[in-house]
Amino acid sequence: MRSRIYTIISGHFKSWYRSKSNIFWTIAFPLLLIVLFGAIFGSGSTKFDLYLQNQDLNANVPTYYSQGYITVLNNTRAFNLHMVPAEQPDPLTYVKNDAQPHNRGQRLLVLPLGFNQTLKNGGNATVQLYMDQSDQASASLAGIVRSVTISYAASIAGSPNHLFLQQVGIVTRNIRYIDFFIPGVIGMTLLTTGVFGAVNTNGRYRELKIIKKLATTPLSKIEWILGMVGYQLILATISLVVILFFGYAIFGVTATIDIYTVGLVVAASLLFPGIGMVLANFVKEAESADAAANAITFPMMFLAGTFWSRESLPDIMKIIAKFMPLTYVNDGLRDALIYAEPAQALTNTLIALGLAAFFIALGSVLMNWKEE
Amino acid sequence: MSDNLPASLPGQSDRVVQVDKLSKKYGDNVAVNGISFNLTKGEVFAFLGPNGAGKTTTVEILECLRNPTGGRARVLGYDVSKRSDQAEIRKRIGVLPQDFNAIDRLTVRENINYFGAMFKHQLDADKLIELVDLKDKRDEQFKKLSGGLKQRVGLAVSLVNDPDVVFLDEPTTGLDPRARRDVWGVIERLKSQGKTVFLTTHYMDEAEYLADIVSIIDHGQIIASGTSDQLIDTHGGKKTLIIRDAGEEGLKQLLPGFPKAELRNAGDIAIPLHNGELTNILMSLAQTPLHDKEIEVRRPTLDDVFLNLTGRRVSEEGN
Ligand SMILES: Nc1ncnc2c1ncn2[C@@H]1O[C@H](COP(=O)(O)OP(=O)(O)O)[C@@H](O)[C@H]1O
Ligand SMILES: [Mg+2]
Repeated sequence: MRSRIYTIISGHFKSWYRSKSNIFWTIAFPLLLIVLFGAIFGSGSTKFDLYLQNQDLNANVPTYYSQGYITVLNNTRAFNLHMVPAEQPDPLTYVKNDAQPHNRGQRLLVLPLGFNQTLKNGGNATVQLYMDQSDQASASLAGIVRSVTISYAASIAGSPNHLFLQQVGIVTRNIRYIDFFIPGVIGMTLLTTGVFGAVNTNGRYRELKIIKKLATTPLSKIEWILGMVGYQLILATISLVVILFFGYAIFGVTATIDIYTVGLVVAASLLFPGIGMVLANFVKEAESADAAANAITFPMMFLAGTFWSRESLPDIMKIIAKFMPLTYVNDGLRDALIYAEPAQALTNTLIALGLAAFFIALGSVLMNWKEE
Repeated sequence: MSDNLPASLPGQSDRVVQVDKLSKKYGDNVAVNGISFNLTKGEVFAFLGPNGAGKTTTVEILECLRNPTGGRARVLGYDVSKRSDQAEIRKRIGVLPQDFNAIDRLTVRENINYFGAMFKHQLDADKLIELVDLKDKRDEQFKKLSGGLKQRVGLAVSLVNDPDVVFLDEPTTGLDPRARRDVWGVIERLKSQGKTVFLTTHYMDEAEYLADIVSIIDHGQIIASGTSDQLIDTHGGKKTLIIRDAGEEGLKQLLPGFPKAELRNAGDIAIPLHNGELTNILMSLAQTPLHDKEIEVRRPTLDDVFLNLTGRRVSEEGN
């Protein structure tokens, strides 16, 4: 006797790989997105991204010499300057958080408070350039900043040789957009295969009387649900492996698969089918359930920071995102796979597992195995 | 326990199905209203009635899919309302739900094995495929099959655990006449193998052709039961003499002698036959130009039974 659960898993799996559209949505589409988004946002501009904090303000207006220095910097046309607010006490952290989602290098130039006054008084002023030596752009970028500094110093009447550039090495993990994007694509794929898979197997199979037929056999509702979850787990693993493999092969994205990744994949394989089951039980007709699944997955995909960082969302959307289960899966996957932030990964994994337990339990309770 | 149900050892009885004053209400709607009947081993039993009569509700109570709101039912001696008994029933019954579809992207054989795996023991898929005549389609995906073939897959699936009783809920609804005949063929084969079959249908000819016992259900109540011959004898009314193609002309000639003669749709004339009247009529006909017309004596059918009992025709309501 083959196990009933195994039979259900293999039945779902065969149905999956025999459908071209299933293969497209679970494998080809995510890869297409990766290539597309990678190509659009991956190459970036030919200018260097440089964060600039001008601390030398006078009533919020840059002082004379600091403004002059920035103008020269701009005139090189070598940089995309991104201003860091002067009041930021920890500009490096600010840069780190801002650079990652925008796929920028973490390089910061600081014009210190008193820059103007010191130069005026003929004292020695120093600007600081923070950057990672391993940054591919480091040599040329530092060279340009140095020549800007020298030429600006030379242009200041009466006080040449009083302006210095201090280079400070920092260690960055230079996270590119594609590194940020790949965990998001995994999250998105787990979401859609989970929700639509459950709507299909619990909504459509009900319409086709397959569930009714199974309910007249010794199969139990729990076995049926376990079979569906087992199938989702296999599908989720395949998605993860395929997407990571292509991310590595095409864009050199290196990901770390750890216990949190495993936990998150398990959570997603319960959570999203659970949501799909709840839907399938509230919206009885398979077709409408499909529409409802679309209505739920699409906003969730955008709000939960799949394609872009939630930083850029309006505040109200950020709050809504906190209620989106996908948010925790996406964040957890990023923490685990890319950022190597185990503490954050743990928090997100635990939240995702909690949500998973809730939704799969709710879906199971709501599901009518027999009639009525 | 009720004394209306004869005590029987579970799994041992010849009474395969025992139903006693069974009722099912959905809110205020009484879908099944105190019905009683029995089904004996080896019998093909047809539950005949129009849409909404309560057939599916009854069958699904017997399949332990719905709970009755009144009365009792036993299947193979087990009580359908008892949890522990339900598990035993599920092992031993075969079910083809109304409008059943197997899994689209599995082949015929895979589908049979899929549902077979739900049971401890399953029959050999190839034997079942042979039984339902699907040998050349065995590796075809279910979704590619025509309606009639799909239904035969459903039949095979319903037999996969070698059940002691098979419930077939409207197995031929929506099929074309040819495909219906094929399904009938399979059911006849089951009958010849001695299987007990519980069939629901709203087709009179189907019940008449296949069933040993027919119960007619209407508005949740059984209005008549018996072999189709018994039903027809009791409720079918008179035999009818049909004169084919006699037309208006013929009717004019007949009416003086046979005031009950009437013209039917295809130009046939129908005359209700009273006992011993046949010879008289034939002799009178010999005197008229109608004597070389095709003449037939038509027995009433279950259609007439239903019409006489309810004043309606099933086919008017059946889809
Ligand atoms: N799940 C249900 N909830 C409410 N009413 C139902 C349900 N199933 C059937 N009914 C009603 O019960 C009656 C009998 O239905 P059913 O048993 O399906 O008849 P049949 O199978 O003979 O067509 C109908 O009036 C139908 O509308
Ligand atoms: Mg029905």
